[in-house]
Amino acid sequence: MKVVLQNLTKIFPGRNKKVQEEVVAVNDFTFTIPDGKLIGLLGPSGCGKSTTLYMISGLQKPTGGKIFFGDDDVTELAAENRGVGLVFQNYALYPHMTVKQNIMFPLQNLRGEDKLTKEDMIERAYYAAKLVQIDELMDRKPSELSGGQQQRVAIARALVKMPKVLLLDEPLSNLDARLRLQTREEIRRIQKETGITTIFVTHDQEEAMSISDMIVVMKLGVVQQIGAPQEVYDDPTNLFVAKFLGTPPINVFEGSVKAEKLYIGDAAVLDVPGIDDRDVTVGIRPEGFVIDENGPFVCGLNSVEVMGRDVSVVCNHAASLNPVIRAIVDADNKVAAGATVSYSLKPHKVFLFSKEDETRLRFEVK
Amino acid sequence: MVESKHKWKAWLYLAPAIVLLLIFTVWPIINTIRMSLLENYSTMGFVGGARYEFGIGNFKQVLEYQNFLTCLKNTMLLCVLTVPISTFLALLIAVCLNAIKPLQRFLQTVFFLPYVTNSIAIGMVFAAMFNMVGTAFGTESELVITAGIINNVIEFFGGTAINWINAGSSYWANIAVLVIYTVWNALPFKILILLGGLQSVNKQYYDAAKVDGTRRVRVFTRITVPLLSPMLAYVVITGFIGGFKEYSNIVGIFGDDMGPTGDPGRLNTMVGFIYDALSNYQGRASAAALILFGIIFIVTMINLYVSKKKTHF
Amino acid sequence: MSNIETKTMHEKDMKKVSSQQRVGKFVAKFLVYAFLIIMAIIIIFPFYWMLISSVKSLDEYKLAIPTLWPKTILLSNYVEAFNQANLGTLFLNTMYVGLVSTLLSLVITVISAFAFARLEFKGKNALFAALLATMMIPGELFTITNYATVNTFGWMNSFVVLIVPFLVSVFYIYLLRQNFLQIPNELYLAAKVDGTSDIKYLWKVMIPLALPTLISITILKMMGAWNSYVWPRLVANDEAHQLITNGLRNAFTESTGDVNIPVQMAAVAIVSLPLFLVFVFLRKYIMKGVSRSGIKG
Repeated sequence: MKVVLQNLTKIFPGRNKKVQEEVVAVNDFTFTIPDGKLIGLLGPSGCGKSTTLYMISGLQKPTGGKIFFGDDDVTELAAENRGVGLVFQNYALYPHMTVKQNIMFPLQNLRGEDKLTKEDMIERAYYAAKLVQIDELMDRKPSELSGGQQQRVAIARALVKMPKVLLLDEPLSNLDARLRLQTREEIRRIQKETGITTIFVTHDQEEAMSISDMIVVMKLGVVQQIGAPQEVYDDPTNLFVAKFLGTPPINVFEGSVKAEKLYIGDAAVLDVPGIDDRDVTVGIRPEGFVIDENGPFVCGLNSVEVMGRDVSVVCNHAASLNPVIRAIVDADNKVAAGATVSYSLKPHKVFLFSKEDETRLRFEVK
Repeated sequence: MVESKHKWKAWLYLAPAIVLLLIFTVWPIINTIRMSLLENYSTMGFVGGARYEFGIGNFKQVLEYQNFLTCLKNTMLLCVLTVPISTFLALLIAVCLNAIKPLQRFLQTVFFLPYVTNSIAIGMVFAAMFNMVGTAFGTESELVITAGIINNVIEFFGGTAINWINAGSSYWANIAVLVIYTVWNALPFKILILLGGLQSVNKQYYDAAKVDGTRRVRVFTRITVPLLSPMLAYVVITGFIGGFKEYSNIVGIFGDDMGPTGDPGRLNTMVGFIYDALSNYQGRASAAALILFGIIFIVTMINLYVSKKKTHF
Repeated sequence: MSNIETKTMHEKDMKKVSSQQRVGKFVAKFLVYAFLIIMAIIIIFPFYWMLISSVKSLDEYKLAIPTLWPKTILLSNYVEAFNQANLGTLFLNTMYVGLVSTLLSLVITVISAFAFARLEFKGKNALFAALLATMMIPGELFTITNYATVNTFGWMNSFVVLIVPFLVSVFYIYLLRQNFLQIPNELYLAAKVDGTSDIKYLWKVMIPLALPTLISITILKMMGAWNSYVWPRLVANDEAHQLITNGLRNAFTESTGDVNIPVQMAAVAIVSLPLFLVFVFLRKYIMKGVSRSGIKG
């Protein structure tokens, strides 16, 4: 089932009653989520991603705009009638019920033509439990489970009624690093197997990039960019998106363009055809540096961190807006010990942004 | 922790409390057991230099005593009726209060109001509400009589007036009045505790239930009540303990006679029995007090056992 | 199994569901408010009836069809009630007993709680556990012996007998000790290093920090004096030492039958007024104290 968000807006009244201060949590969000895809809503805390999720679930009412499931307008529909599955950040498993009772709970609520027999319920509960590999734990109470197991139970509970839309709120934030890696693959697999349109919220760009079909990057209630993860990474529309995606983060410099050449400091480091003369903010991905003895971009060398396959070169430059510059280069490169290191740049890993509004300034890449 | 150089200092600070507790708490515990085991014990007896045999005679006597059995029956009856009714009503009110936004604080205050009352004084108000003034069963020359506001309301809805508490009233009518007053009196504390419990329940459980399309009744029975079960257990246990010690509510309505005019002592309770025997029959009073303690102890243990089984999570 | 995978929820007529849901929500809201308001009226009614009855004339009170608002407001009932029950003396007696016992009780509670929370001595934990254990025993059990004890002391019909036996409350010590324990021990150690005396430290640091608990204790203790009935009736039921609840009950021995209810209600209203004022102004502390204690003031 596709989900359509049309000019979705949510405004919270200010906490302070005396000063009428409103908080725009989500501002004019329009997007069609295609059927059967895994979508990641991504952004720093307070960007409105969770609010968006809760509006889709029906737990929060939008201030403006509409939500469609397929062709049906569900904007006014209460959560209990939307038929969505929702996994909460801290799982919200009922502490007094066993795993089995937790998973069966949504099925027991079904009425009318959806009503199931007891056998059907048990069969479906076990099917959902198998899907998340917790069918061994059915008689335990949530307090007897590890974080990862609880997380799976929460997913099973959301999946068991085969919802049209599955929503996950920061599903991995309470897990340790190793489990997080494993579980996100699992979410990907379950979503593929069931084909349920799935929307999940995260502040972790790596998480979103690794499993989503599409990501939506948000900032302060405003959608910044929507697209396939690689696409957004390779072609950010503004400085915020460029900075938010990628580990290690993008390196940012003060720069200027003169006669279609990009200057960082005094050195002309790259040809940028199609850009007028102006001051710009330059973003260079760590992998955009190539060690080149005759390269135009000369930086002070701090240290070299060997990470096996790659080498991370930490250096500095007067025009850098970050405390240090990080370049990731192939381990085959010998970085000569010395005071400086010289680079040439890969043009498609260099992004220019307007200094005024931080939007992208695109140049032709030969 | 501070290793005090002067250990006597701690004992100095505790001295007043310890002395008073020894006299008014520890000694009574020992003495009550002693007195209960001295047959036919009475402090007055010492004047005549009487000596008493050790034995369980007091207990036997108390349990065979018709008056005590009446008190036990009244106490049990009030407990069994008022605790479930007040707990259920309090739960309903607390859940409703928790579900609303406008007027919530105002209504919360209203429902707490009976807590800060004097149970004797307000008992007199309840008596007035159920009381017939003027001699309804008397001479015809009595012109102005009121059947009491409660009877007026009953008559307004087409019922017949009931003699609730006056001379000649039935036992069950008396009990009904006591139950109403006791429940009214017990509600505020229970609502306060249960509402506090409800407000500390994680809202996400309700959100989760909502997303799963749970009906209100099912949310109540399957989520609210189980999650609230520790508070419910607490409220029921304290309710039973208070119920077994019932006394002043009855004094409030019926006066020291503990019964309607013409039938004193009919509504007496176990605590009332203890007070009646207190000045002249200490042995009997002590035995009754220990029986009361035993009952409260057993009921509390049963409650704890049941609630532990039910609230285990 | 395969049929399960494909069997998602049935489509619904969203418009219909939407309107049903709105009606359902409205009905539920209506029922909730109706129930709460009816219950609130039942809760309030006795107070209302007390007040309007207290200003009616006896003849108006006796009308077969009662008036819900008095025809004439007769304040003389209050004067009569005040004199008949001798409320002035009762009020002074009660305030005296309440204030003295609260004050002494606070001192004992504070120093005991301090000893249990901050000082180390042999047998501390055992002693504290023993104290807590006494809380399980119903007070009636103590009364029997205490009655004999105060008789032996020759305390009958005095203020001492109303104050001394109840000065120590294990529960209040427990409550305050918990409160003191939350105050970091480093503060005490720092004070010791600076050469501050225990008493000064208590006064300057612990008491201000535990003030809400102390206020709760004060209110509950005062309310206890105001509402106490059983013990005073047993040991100090003479006119000079009677407390307000006993005085009220004694002045109007008959609460059923043909009695002057308006005057009774006026007396009850006078007795209830201070409690009501305490409630209005100190509700926060009472509720806090109650939800932690579960005892009736």
